[in-house]
Formats: sequence, C-alpha cells, structure tokens
Amino acid sequence: MNRSELLSRFFVITGIILAIGAPLVFWTRTPLIHARMAENGGWNPDVIQAEVGKPLQLKITSDDVVHGFAVGQMDMQSVDVLPGKVTDITLTFDKPGIYTFFCTRWCGLNHWRMRGTIEVSGSPSDPEPSTVPLYVSLNLDLDAPHDSPIVPNEKPSAISGQLLETNLPIDPSAEYYRSHSPYQVFTDLSTTSLTEPQRWDVVAYLWQSNATSESLANGKQLYAQNCAACHGENGAGDGVFADELAAAGESSMQTMEGAMDMMMQSPVDFTDPRRMLGASPALLQGKILRGGMGTGMPMWGSIFTEEQIWDLIEYLYSFQFQYQGAIQ
Amino acid sequence: MTKIELTRNTFIKNALKSRYPQLAVFIVMLVGYIFAILAGLIGTPVGSHNFSIVFVWIAWWAILILVAVPFFGRGWCAVCPIPLPGEWLQRGAVLGPSEKKPKWLNLRVPKMFRNIWLQNISFLLLALFSSVLLTTPNITGIVLAAMLFAAIGLSTVFERRAFCRYLCPVGGFIGLYSQTAPIELRIKDKQICVTCEGKPCYNGSQAGYGCPWDVFPGGLTKNTYCGLCMECIRTCPHDNIAVNLRPFSADLAKPSTRMDEAFKAFIMLGSAIIYAGVLLGPWGTFKDAAYNVGSGTWLIYAAAFLAIIFVVLPGLFTLGILDMKNTLSLKQRFASLSTALIPLGLMFWVAFSLSFVLTNASYIVAALSDPLGLGWNLFGTANTAWQPMLTALLAPAQTLALVGGLIWSARTAQKAANEVKVSSIPVIFYSLIVTFIMLWLLL
Amino acid sequence: MNPRFSLLLFVMAGLVVAFAPLPVPAIAPQARTFRVDARQYAYSPSELKVNAGDTVTLQLVSTDVVHGLYVDGYDISVEADPGQTVTLTFTADKPGSFRFRCNVTCGAMHPFMIGKMTVGTNNWLFRSIGLALLAIVGVIVSVKQKA
Repeated sequence: MNRSELLSRFFVITGIILAIGAPLVFWTRTPLIHARMAENGGWNPDVIQAEVGKPLQLKITSDDVVHGFAVGQMDMQSVDVLPGKVTDITLTFDKPGIYTFFCTRWCGLNHWRMRGTIEVSGSPSDPEPSTVPLYVSLNLDLDAPHDSPIVPNEKPSAISGQLLETNLPIDPSAEYYRSHSPYQVFTDLSTTSLTEPQRWDVVAYLWQSNATSESLANGKQLYAQNCAACHGENGAGDGVFADELAAAGESSMQTMEGAMDMMMQSPVDFTDPRRMLGASPALLQGKILRGGMGTGMPMWGSIFTEEQIWDLIEYLYSFQFQYQGAIQ
Repeated sequence: MTKIELTRNTFIKNALKSRYPQLAVFIVMLVGYIFAILAGLIGTPVGSHNFSIVFVWIAWWAILILVAVPFFGRGWCAVCPIPLPGEWLQRGAVLGPSEKKPKWLNLRVPKMFRNIWLQNISFLLLALFSSVLLTTPNITGIVLAAMLFAAIGLSTVFERRAFCRYLCPVGGFIGLYSQTAPIELRIKDKQICVTCEGKPCYNGSQAGYGCPWDVFPGGLTKNTYCGLCMECIRTCPHDNIAVNLRPFSADLAKPSTRMDEAFKAFIMLGSAIIYAGVLLGPWGTFKDAAYNVGSGTWLIYAAAFLAIIFVVLPGLFTLGILDMKNTLSLKQRFASLSTALIPLGLMFWVAFSLSFVLTNASYIVAALSDPLGLGWNLFGTANTAWQPMLTALLAPAQTLALVGGLIWSARTAQKAANEVKVSSIPVIFYSLIVTFIMLWLLL
Repeated sequence: MNPRFSLLLFVMAGLVVAFAPLPVPAIAPQARTFRVDARQYAYSPSELKVNAGDTVTLQLVSTDVVHGLYVDGYDISVEADPGQTVTLTFTADKPGSFRFRCNVTCGAMHPFMIGKMTVGTNNWLFRSIGLALLAIVGVIVSVKQKA
C-alpha cells in the first residue's frame, strides 16, 4: 500500500472518529436538566441534591415548548427555559430542607404538575417554629359547601361602605377579616340600623381596607400567571383549560374504577357571589394550600409564600366587590 | 447555443481528474454527515435548534434544490458521502485501485430492480411521514444512519453503487431533474469508443474503477444516470471524455419513454403541490393528519396522497392525451409527453422550498454555534433571533419560478409533442392548470 | 411578425400585467378586532380578511402552550401564555396576502403553524395568474410563428 493511500486512510479514519467522538464526549460532559410537558415526563432529573451555603449551578433546557423555572418559597425571579436553548442559573440555600422547583409558564393542562425537588442537606440552624395554617386552627372543613344564604343584588361598593363605616361594632383587625366570611361579617352587622345593601357595602370596605394597591397588583399578577388559564381571565371559571377539565371529570365519572380519586371538575367561578361570599379568607387559603384532592386544582403550599397567598386572596375578592381605584 | 467543453481548460481537467481534491471534499461531507447523525440522536429534540434538522432540511435542501440540481444536475451525487464507506470497503482502497482486490460478492443487481421503481417507492415512503422526519431530530438521525448502512450493506453484496443507482430516494429525483441542467459528461468522439479495447471506462483498469453507476460512458446521451464521479475521466486511455456546458434541458429534446421515469415526474409534481397545501397552508386539520403517523386520519391522508399522485394527476393527464389518433401506443405518448412535467416539477419544488428556506434560514446561523443545543456558542451566533429573510422578494421570486417553469414546460411539451407528432395543447393546458393551483397555494 | 418584436411585445405586456397600478376601491377604513385562538399547531380562525387601511386588532389566546403570532410582510409579533390574552394592533396599510405564523417554538410542527391574512384583494395572485396565461399565449404564438 503506498504512502498516499495510507495518509488518506488516516485522514478518513481520524475524521470519522472525531465526528462520532467529539459530540459524544461533550454531550456526556454537559449534564442538563431537561424540561418537558408533564404529559411527556416533566422534569428530568426531578430530584436534585444540594448543600447549604454551596452555590448550586444548574443548566436547564426545554425539549418541547416554552417552560420556566423557579423555586418555591424562595425570593427569586423565575427564569424562562426555552426549547433548544440552555438557561444557566445559580442557587444558594441558607437552610436545609426539601424545596420544590416548578414550571412558571403554562405548558399544557398539566403544567402545574411539572414540579421537582431540591434536597438541601446541611446542619439546620435554629429550629423554625412551624406555623399551623389558619384553616386548621379554626377547624374549617375545606370540602364542606360554603354557600352564602344571602347575596347582594349589586356588586357592593367599598367607597359607599367607607362613608358608612364610622362607629360600627366590627373588628377591623386582620385576624377578624381572615377568619370571617363576608356573609358572617354581614350577619355581624345586623345589630346596626343599616339596610342590607349598606351592610354589604361596609363588608366591601372592610375587605378593601385589608389590602393595599401593591398587594392587589401583586395578587392580580399571580392570578394572571397561575390561575387564569383555568379560572378565566375574568374569574368566571371559563379559562382555556376549563372545558378539558370538565370533560375529564365527566369521562372519569363514567368509569367505576378510579371514580373516587379522579373527580375532575370545571374550575370555580369567582364571580359567583353565592360561593365566594360564603368563604372566609382562611378557607380560601386552605383550598389554595392543600389543593383540590383530584379535582384538578393544584396544591400551592410548597410554591407560594404566605404573603403571596394572602395577596392572591385579596385579589380574588375583587371579583365580588367594587374597590376604590383601578387595580394596576 | 453550442456546447462549451469545460475540461479543455487544463486547471479544471486536472482538478477533476486528481483524486485529492475530491477526497478532501468527501472527508468534509462524510464528517458532516456523521456529525448530523450524532446530533440527531443525542442533541436537543427541538428541531429548529438541532444541527441535523437545520443543516439537512434547511441548508442542504436549499443548496440542493436551488443550486445543485438546476445548475449542476447530479452535482450533489458527485460529493455525497453516503456511498463512500461501502465503496471504500468494496474497493479495498480510498484512492486508486490496489493490487489486492478484496473478495466481495459483487453480484449484479437483478434485472427486475434495474429501474427507478425502488427509488420511487423509497421517496414516497419518506414523503408519507415527512412531517415527522423534517421536524424530529432523532428520526432524521435514524434515517440518515439507515441510508448509510444500507449503502454499506448493498456494497458488500452487489457490484458498484447499487444503493445510489437503485435505492436512494434523493437520487431518484436528482436523476430525473438532471436532464434540465446545463452541465453534462459526455464522450467527445464516438469512433474512438468503437475501436477501444476492453472499455476500461466501464470495466476498470489500473488507473481507476469501472463506472460505479453502471453506465457505459460511451453510450451516455442523457444525464439521468451519470453521477459525475469522474472515475471514467481517470480510466479512459484516449482522453475521450469531457465535461461540457450546454443549454438548459438539452436532454429533454429526446424524451424518454420509460414508465418509471414518467411516474417519477408525477410523484415529484404531486408531492410539491401537496406539501405546499399541507405544510404552508392555513389548514390545521391537514397538518394534524400528516403529523399523526399511524392514526386513522393519517391513513386517510396517506391514501389521498397516493391517490393524487398515482390516480388523479396521471389520470387527468391521460384523459387529455387520449383521443389522439397516433401510431405510438398510449403508454409511449404518456411517457414522452410527461417529460414536460420535469421542468415544471423542478420549479414547483424551487418555489415551495424558497418559502420555508427564506423563512427559517436564520436558524442556520444559530445552529452553527450550538449544533447540539447544549448551550455552546462556538462562533458567537447562538443567540441569533429567528427572523425571516428577504420577505419582500419571496412572492415575486415564486411567481418568476412558477411562470418560468410553465414556459419551460410548455416549450418542452412542444418539442416532445413534435417527436410523437401530436398536438401539445392538452399538455400545455394541464401544466397551466396545475400552475394555477400552485400559485394559489403559495401566494 | 418578427419573432424578436413579438418577444418584446410579450415582455412589455408581462411588465404591464405585473406592475401596472390597479385602481384601489375606496372603502372607508374601519377598526376590526379578531380573537385568534392558538393551539398546537393551528390558529382558529386561520384565515382573516380585512380591507386596506383598516386598524386591525388581533387578540391572541393561547389554549395549550405559549404561542406567538408573527405577521409576514409587516414584521410584527406578539406572544401569549395560556390564561393571558395579548393584543396586537396595527394598520393594514400594505395590501395583499400575508401569512402569519408562530414565532415561539411550540413543539414539533411549530414551523408549519401558519394562518393567512388578506388585506384588500390578493392582487399579486391575480397578476401572477395573468402572467401565466400571457406566458402560454406567448409560447403558442411563438410556435405558430416558426411554423
């Protein structure tokens, strides 16, 4: 075999080895977290290990549609995870524990199921006192019906309520507001000489005084990003996934097996005064924390902070009450 | 216009004759091809950011259909990497012939398969799941690998480039359309071939191998089956082979009467029309049907696809040429008149391809920097945003291509009709109607 | 007739068909709003018709994943998450037929998620059909001349 043939074979073989080897080597040396719609497997891997105080560097890519990434109960901006592109993010944890990371951009009906955990090991600092959610300490049954027997004819106005508010026998504190439904406050006002519409207006004013324009704006944004897809942009339970949820519920009701735990329902209509006015903020907080037990309503306990949930609840009541000034 | 012999220029002749420039190109192509397979299999599943989809179905396809085929005929076959590993194994060498020839089976491809029907079928098989193929990297990777291994396997059993000549789905239409190209490889003087001993251009010699395309260069009158591999230029002891520049579609002056080629013309015409409607149209139901391979709606889509290509288009064409009292059989008229659809089909594919190429060419720049979607930025262009290019030129370019193709097709119809002594009006009318359909679908 | 002359004649006729200004019907521009639902991989409605000069508002409602809407020729776009309708308002000052397509990767068939918007009449299509007819006439005439 002559020299040029030998040389040519060398180049051919080297080229082939490089073409196969280089991508393989670089691929194995680039561990990525893959984001996929929940129907296609969700996060992979979905459990990540970390250590307290040690920066955790993550490279995340999407294998199908636009996703987002954030860690629950942590003060962080979510980042977008785009198809075919890699997002670099570094996280540092002060306290050990199990953190939930979740998708922040709607990616199908089961977007909210796209969650994983970060197990942060390390010695715990001062033991944190665990707070019991209000609905537990109030012994509220989250699944019991809570229809308000009386509903106003028109949307109560907080501005009118403000004018009537002086010298009323109700407690303006946050504890009172959180543990009472609008209907209960309406009933507590029966000792006054106000008419029924006037009493509802006072309730509206009490509700507004437990919110600020910032908290309402925050609640509105949380609602748009997390709730509107099912509950509707105007709270009427007619979001883009509402039909699918209702249909899933119907079809699961028709099968005998699994009917108990697959009770999907159409999303709640927050513009319905009967249901909303009979629900206290504590009850709503409980439903949001715990989720719907198979109805399709996600549990948000590991995702939102307590403050975020109260802000969101304040916004939900704005579907029932006429608040002063526009919500930004 | 007469022919211009390009190989009269010594630089061109030596460049084509020498094995080294060709080998350099081969190595680059083979490395790129293998890299595309790997990228498809292990890279990001998102097609627009994966080298395999972007460089095969946007970059390579654009160069193929817009440049290589119209201007160089089978020019892509001249540099294609698919046959190379098999051929090197078959020959036992990467460069010129060695003394020891390896003992492979070297069987002749059976007569029943020595036509382009297998290529018609392989193209249709890919076409029926093209929505998945064009958008899913691992499917593209598997198909590319399958073609490579098929070529290697066939080279160990059959003689010459059996995959290229009889199975390759791309080769089927490149061959048909190469008849329109302004480049050709032909002998210079027929008398020299008559008196030539041993015909080393076909049988091989110490200087080179016998034609891998199973073509006798001395008998080449059309481009259809010559893969421009330049082997015969190396073996001819009489320097009797030339590469010429010639008028476009010179080969169509002698229309073929083969049915396999006639149906290839309908397959390409029909698939261009169907893709323009399904992929570039606003009808979501068709796209769903095309994409959900294996479902009931896909079966209906596939049946309609095949019906359009094998029944509707040829059927209407036949109706148009039926009542011609003629000495030639209907079959011969059908085959020779359908050559008018060759330039038409080519320009349909050009017009269709311009749309998605110009819309998505910006992905090429990004995929160069991050071919596997691993977050690399090799050339700094990984974050190039998607941006359609030259949008104002697209519609005029498509009109030019389609009307130009129509004129070309009408002239070809006239020449073919002249040969078989019939009127060209039915065929011209047919071309006009399908051009209207294509204009409506694309514009 | 001299073949060169008739070729020139046909080319001139072609230029007229392609570029001669057509009278624009005087339709008063209106404001129009369309709600466009987007799903993998189609828009609904997928064909929109407006008059030249209209102020067009498109409300993009994504019903499954994040989608975009990019208008060819106008080079404008929006992107919508499910649950958050976004609007795109523009003046349809360019007449003709324009495809709109998804510009946010939304799955495999994303490059083919396409709709069509017609502003006024699709004049270029009619001109092209005219050119095709003219071309055929030209070819037939040229053959008759050679005969």
